[in-house]
Amino acid sequence: MARGVMLMSGGIDSPVSLHLLLRQGHEMMAVHMDNRPFTDDSPLEKVVDHLEILRQRYRQPIPLYVLPHGPTQITLMRQTDRHVGCVLCRRFMWRSAERIAEREGATFLATGESLGQVASQTLSNMRSATASVQLPIVRPLVGFDKLEIEAVARSIGTYGISTRPGLCCQAVPDRPATKSHLLQIEKEEERVDVDQILDDVVRHAVRM
Amino acid sequence: MTYSELKLCATRSAFEAVPNPRLKLDLPGVAARIAAEGLPVIDARVMLIAGERHEVTISRDGRVLIKLTDPDAARRVFERVRGWIGAT
Repeated sequence: MARGVMLMSGGIDSPVSLHLLLRQGHEMMAVHMDNRPFTDDSPLEKVVDHLEILRQRYRQPIPLYVLPHGPTQITLMRQTDRHVGCVLCRRFMWRSAERIAEREGATFLATGESLGQVASQTLSNMRSATASVQLPIVRPLVGFDKLEIEAVARSIGTYGISTRPGLCCQAVPDRPATKSHLLQIEKEEERVDVDQILDDVVRHAVRM
Repeated sequence: MTYSELKLCATRSAFEAVPNPRLKLDLPGVAARIAAEGLPVIDARVMLIAGERHEVTISRDGRVLIKLTDPDAARRVFERVRGWIGAT
């Protein structure tokens, strides 16, 4: 079995995805990209509660790394094209998670994404976002529909946590790109200092 | 400029007010007025985030989001926001 890093958002999908990997016997840790001030405290609180349920169920420590993402979002909003903001945001999430994976000796990244649910999850956007990292990315829910995911979430006890009140990301543009081109994204990203941003994010990571 | 009634947003975690018609706010000017009151404000180019606990978001098109769940407290904050953006 392998050691992996799961991106946890506080939503319905990521705890289900983590549950499936833990059930297979993988040794997992979690990364939460803390999007305040573009959200409120609720996503982090939900992730903490999700992990508590899964730690008890699988008797695994599942360490949680909380990484600041709000400052990155501010930089992206100030310096890049808003239209592709969601893709750029995802690229920084993946890279940040990969930094933690490298530090912890993990060999894969994982997510609760499934195809076509939201703007960041079209095939071209996934391709543009994940081209930013080298580690393999595992998506246990990629072929699930929403009702199937919700059914599993209810069965493992995470659904009620995910659906508590909570603010959606305020950084999402009015019309996010649903079709992106990697070259265009990479060119847009040249407007910011990628390594400096990542160094700052990882320096301020908190392990819980 | 006319604003809709302050409404609890779909996620039940904040109140929202929408101007009709949409505006094109001078965000740096609004940010300066907020800062003049001694409040922290972040200018993210397309929106401002203001308040001690980042509780107010003001979009360039005039939408206002107040991250409070108490309607009376949200209304008081909104009155202050109207002053910042010059709404009557």
